[in-house]
Formats: sequence, structure tokens, C-alpha cells
Amino acid sequence: MSAFKTRLQALGQRDFRGLVLPLGLILAWYLISKFNLANSAILASPYEVWKEGYGQISSGAFALDLVHSVSRNLGGFVVGGTAGLILGSLLGVSRWADRLISPSFNTIKSIAIFAWIPLISVWFGMGEPAKIIFIAIAAFYPTTINTYEGIRSVHRDHVEVARVFEFSRWQLFRKVILPSASPQIITGIQLALIYSWLATIGAEYFLKSGHGIANSMIDGREHFNMGSVLFGVVVVGVVGAIVNQLAFKLEKHLLGWRNRTA
Amino acid sequence: MSALGTLDFKNVKKQYHVKGETLDVLDGINLHIKPGEFVSIVGSSGCGKSTLLRLAIGLDDDYQGDILLDGARIKGTSLKRGIVFQEHRLFPWLTVEQNVGLALENSTLSSNERAKTIAEHLELVGLKGFEKAYPYQLSGGMSQRVAIARGLVNRPEILLLDEPFGALDALTRANLQNELQRIWQTEGITMILVTHDVEEAVLLGDRVVIMEPRPGRIKRTVEVDVPHPRQRADLRLAAIKDDVLSEFGHEHDTALQPAAEGFGFKDYLFAW
Amino acid sequence: MSTAITLNQSDIPAEVSAKRPSQWRQKTGQKLQQILWALVLPLLVLGLWQITSAHEWVSPQILPPPSLVWQTLTELWQSGDLTSNLQISVERVAYGFGVGTVVGLLLGALMGLSKTVEAYLFPTFKALSQIPALGWIPLLIMVVGIGESMKILVIAKAALVPVTVNTLQGIRNIPPQFAEVAKVYRFNTRQLLAKVVIPAALPSLFTGIRYGLTHAWLALVTVELLASSEGIGFLMVWGRQLFQLDLVLATVVIIGAVGLLIDQSLQWLETHFLKWRRVAF
Repeated sequence: MSAFKTRLQALGQRDFRGLVLPLGLILAWYLISKFNLANSAILASPYEVWKEGYGQISSGAFALDLVHSVSRNLGGFVVGGTAGLILGSLLGVSRWADRLISPSFNTIKSIAIFAWIPLISVWFGMGEPAKIIFIAIAAFYPTTINTYEGIRSVHRDHVEVARVFEFSRWQLFRKVILPSASPQIITGIQLALIYSWLATIGAEYFLKSGHGIANSMIDGREHFNMGSVLFGVVVVGVVGAIVNQLAFKLEKHLLGWRNRTA
Repeated sequence: MSALGTLDFKNVKKQYHVKGETLDVLDGINLHIKPGEFVSIVGSSGCGKSTLLRLAIGLDDDYQGDILLDGARIKGTSLKRGIVFQEHRLFPWLTVEQNVGLALENSTLSSNERAKTIAEHLELVGLKGFEKAYPYQLSGGMSQRVAIARGLVNRPEILLLDEPFGALDALTRANLQNELQRIWQTEGITMILVTHDVEEAVLLGDRVVIMEPRPGRIKRTVEVDVPHPRQRADLRLAAIKDDVLSEFGHEHDTALQPAAEGFGFKDYLFAW
Repeated sequence: MSTAITLNQSDIPAEVSAKRPSQWRQKTGQKLQQILWALVLPLLVLGLWQITSAHEWVSPQILPPPSLVWQTLTELWQSGDLTSNLQISVERVAYGFGVGTVVGLLLGALMGLSKTVEAYLFPTFKALSQIPALGWIPLLIMVVGIGESMKILVIAKAALVPVTVNTLQGIRNIPPQFAEVAKVYRFNTRQLLAKVVIPAALPSLFTGIRYGLTHAWLALVTVELLASSEGIGFLMVWGRQLFQLDLVLATVVIIGAVGLLIDQSLQWLETHFLKWRRVAF
């Protein structure tokens, strides 16, 4: 009972001002659609969005889309992230690799990733491999850059400590470089997660085949089903937010030693 | 020199309220500082000596008791009271002379007079020729010289120094201590120096106020009856230093540092 | 006032003294070496690519030779197709970026200066900004149609988020020590804004604008690929539809070059206008 009370107190102390605007917008939306103040084909009512979402969920169509989107998202993220970690470490550790590869990497990086879509579609078709390659590119850049910069900004002082204790190269990498670069590497991974989700939506727009959240948004638009499109927007936001949240939980867990403002 | 610059602490008490608990930081502080006097305040960390300066400069008004400047209770900050912080706090986007000029933003001087007094004060602290330099080009000692010039430029009645040389190396520190002694004699204003360096306190102060922690109180006041300018090697100073040092027991820090709270912007990543 | 004293030699940092010419020569040599190293990989790839297509190991439909891509590029330039399409794209970016930056600066400044405004707006802003611009496209197409305004809105959204976040962050992260200095010298609100808040937030503000422009360009390419009948992205889609991969590759080069140009010029501006920043903060 007392636990409930303290929880209630904690709830009372929370800042609810942030809820005013979204609740107000939803109310306005509800009122506009209820009194037919706007073209109903353009503005679906909250109820219609709810109905559409409920329909998609109960028919199993939503689960199918979600599973497809999330699994290709993760697939691309893992492929691109791993490649990025490897290349980033190589560039960070080896001067030769840095001189040879970094300038080209930085030039290629400035090509907007979506510009690769037409080429990917010619070279790899419209199917799953093409999508995963595209998502992997999106995850590859931030992990490479952040791993590289993380390793580059390792304190010389710390490296000198390792030299005093006569660490081997592997020990130096494992015990000094990796841990001290880890905050930035994790930032890279977080960015990679965000960008791979963006790329997943993009891949489903451009390489139209199979199931996916964005595929059904496009379908919804073509059939002028506003409810379906809005439901899709919400899902895109919610999935993105969940992925982010998980990434930050992971960071907190892994980097408890770091004073965040230091 | 003018007779202005009397500072009185009367029964000053300061408490912090952290998570429902009350913490006494200062209790029963009584101190009378005469015009033109140089008072050093020493104490181990956590004895409230820096808090005392924050109250005197007016950055913190939440205390009991009275702090009076020339008989009037101080309220908020005022151009009559100058301060030099431990970190130089120069604005990195301004040049040396612009940084000193910050103190004159609200003065009634004309722009010609301003330029003149800025130049004079930069000369006073030995930085002539560095007017157009940016803080990133300055060493720690030079930055602190600029900060002293900024503290003095609007001619306050009293200058508060909060461990101004704490972050400097020993040679630079010794050099600046001599400088400060010279500047104080030239300007003839009241100065209060907070420090944890007993030698510095004795070398510069007419009086050394020794504080003790939990809650912050004045333990003892030691007169330093040696005429200025003083020599570091003076044996009389050494004896007083030993006397002051004998007041410090063996205290150890027992608490861990609490993690600083930041605005969690690092948590905010987004795609386009 | 007494006479000035002499400075310790150790008090004068090295940067103040001028650099010697021999150092300069050494630096140029290093730079040249760096450039040579950087060229190895691209030349190797280009050579291999040219040989591959010369021997027709891969169909030119899939991988046209670099020489053909270069030829297409020059033809695009000479016919004026490149300039006309690029101009349309640049205009779209300019409008979208302009709208996004102005709104973003206002929003960021309001939230940064007032805790109350932040408490009301920030949660909603954060939630909406998590949905990528791409997610809004189908909705926007339904609401405002497939025309110019949809494209500009998408680009503006892409620019708005980093500008807002960095403005807010820049203002919020001003060291409280600086605010105390302002208080000691009794600055009024105007002086506080002009002398402390704006200069201290400027680097962060600039970062925001830099990201904003980069994001605006990325969004433009995407939106033009998805729905447009002119512009550099359209040129690419067109090449893809006609199965002219040389045209596709040529536009890839152009898109990369513009991206690089944006990035480099903003970096240059940043280092030149914020030279005090070197070790500050």
C-alpha cells in the first residue's frame, strides 16, 4: 500500500506540461473531423486511424509487416555495423590504412546514400539482398566514422601507461584503446540504428517488393486510405523510438563508469 | 587612500538543503575587515571559505545574518565589489582587452576613458602588448593576470580573490603572489584572499583567518605583523606559517564525489 | 600606477611567436605526400574498372566504363541539362533550408531561453523529430499533393531538427560560470544576450546550420528520387528507367561533388569565423 502511495506521489511530481500540446492537437483533430471542417478524404478521424490499426493488427497483416521490416532492419544493421567496426578499427590503428583509404572513404561518404538506390536496383535487383545491402550502407558510415574517431582520440597518457607496463599490441588494443574509444563507438552504433531504420523505410519505398511497414503506407496512399498512412507514420515513429530506447539502455549498462558530463 | 572598503560579517549562517536534509555550511561567522586591509582565509576543502566569498560578492543571497560594506547590507552583485575566480573565466570569444572591458559595460566612463583605464590596468598586471590576444593563446598565469585586471578595472572598493592561483604551477604562482602584493600596495584597496596554501596566506595577509569544516566556522585569527613589501624567505613569516599549519589536523575525505548532472543532450540523436 | 614588470619567459606560449619558413616547407611536403597517398586507391579502382569494361567482363549495361561516364558528364554539361536541373535542385534546397533554419532558430532560442516553453514544447518536438522526414512523405503527398510544397516541407523538416536541437543545446550548455561573470558586472538582459548568450552559443548554432544544410541536401536527393519531374534526382531516376547506367553514375558523381562542396565550404567558414574556438570549451 505504501509502495503504491510513493508511486502515486512520484506521479504527482512528474512534469505533465509536455502532454498539453499533443493532447490539444489530438482534441483539435478530433473536433475538426467530427464536425467535418476539412475534407474527410484528406483528414481521417482519430477513430478511423484506430479502426485501421486495430484491423491491421487483428488480421495479422501488421505482424507480418513488422516482422519483415524489423528483421531486414536488423540484418542490414548487423552487416553494416560489423563492417564499419572493422574498417573503423583498421583506419584508427594503422597509419598506412588511414592514409590510403580515409580520403576515398570521406569522398564516397559525401554521396547521399539514397543516390545508391538506382545502382543497387540494377546490380542486385529489387529483392531482399538489395534492401539489406542498402540498409547496411546506411549503418556502415556512422559506425566507421565514430570507431575511427574514438580510437584516434584515445589519450596518449593512457597509451603511455600501457607502454610502461609493457603491454603487447593486442593487450594495448583490448585493454586501453577499445575501452577508451567505447563511448564514441557506442554513439556510432546508436546512430547506425537510427539510420538503418530510416534506410529500411527508404528501401521499402524504392525497392517495392514483399511486405513491410512502409510498403503498406505506400499502398495506403495509392488507395487513398488516410487511416492506413497515419497508422504507418505512428508505427514508424514508435518503432524508431523503441530502437533508440534500447540502444540507450545498452549504453547505460555498458558505460556506467563514465560520468556523462565529464 | 580612501577610507571606503570596510567589510563586516555579522553572525553569518548558511545552510544547504539537499534532498530534505539540512547541511550547515557556515555558522556564526563574525569578521571585521578594515579599509585597505589584506585578509587571507585558509582552511581545508569543504570548510565553506569559497561559499563565504560567494556571499560577499552577492552571487548567493540566501543566508542568515548580515554582510555589510561600509555599513550598508549588501544585496546582489555590485560594481563596488570585484572578484577573481579560481578558473580565470575569460570569455574565449573576446580578446584580452575586450575581456577586461566587460567589467566596464555598466560604467559611466566615456569610451576614451575606458580605453585608457583598460590599457593602464593591463600594464599594471604586466600584459602590455597582449591586448589583441585571445584566451587560447595565453598561458594559465597570463589568463589569471587578465582576470585580475578585469577585477580591478572598475576600481572596486574591495577585491575578493577565490583561490586565484590554485591551478598554477609553483613558479608562476610565486611570481603572481609578488605581483599581487605590489598591486595591492599600489591600489590601496581592501582585498580578501581565499586559499588553501598557507604560505601564500601568510606571505600576503595582514591577518590570516583559519577556518574549520562541518559546519564552517572561524577557528582562529593570526596577525601577521610583518611590514610590506615582504620577502618570501623572511624567518618571521616561516614561524607564523608553522603556527598556522599546527591548526590543521589530519582530516581525510571520506565521501565519494557525486556524479554531476548534465542536460542529457548526448541522448539526442536523430536522422533526417 | 607603477611601472610594468617583465614577463617570465615561460609565461609566453609558443603560438605567439611566428613560424619559421623551413617549417612551412616541411608542411607543404607532407601535404603533397598525403595527396599522393590518397590518390592511390581511386586510381587503382578506376584502372581496374576501365580494364574490366574494356574486356567486357561485365556487360556495359551493368557497368559502363569510366570513360563513358565522363563523356556523359561532359555532354550533360554542354547541353545545359546539368545546369538547368541542378539549378532547380539548388532552389528547392535553398527554400527548404531557409524555412527550416528560420523556424529552427526561433524554436531553439525560445526553448533555450525559457524553461517553461521547453517544458511544453520539447517532448512533442522530440517525439515528432524521431519520425524521419521520409516517414512523413506519404502523408504529405496526400495532404498537400505531390508538388513543390511537399518537397520544400520535407527538406525544411530535415533542416529544422538539427538547427533546433543545436540552438537549444548551445544556449543550455553555456557554462554557468560565464553567467556569473555577467552577474558580477551587473549585465542587463540585452547585455547578457549580446555579450554572453549569443557568442557562447554561436559554435553550436553553426554546427546546427551545418548539419541542417547537409540534411537538407540528403532530403532533396531522396524526395526527388521519389517524386519529381525535374532536378538532379530526377535525372538519376530517368537514367535508371532508360537503363542508361552511365547517366546514373554521372549523377552520382554530381550529387557527391555537391555534398562535398557543401561540407567543405561550411567547414572552412567555421574555422575562419570562429578562430577563438580552438581550445575553448
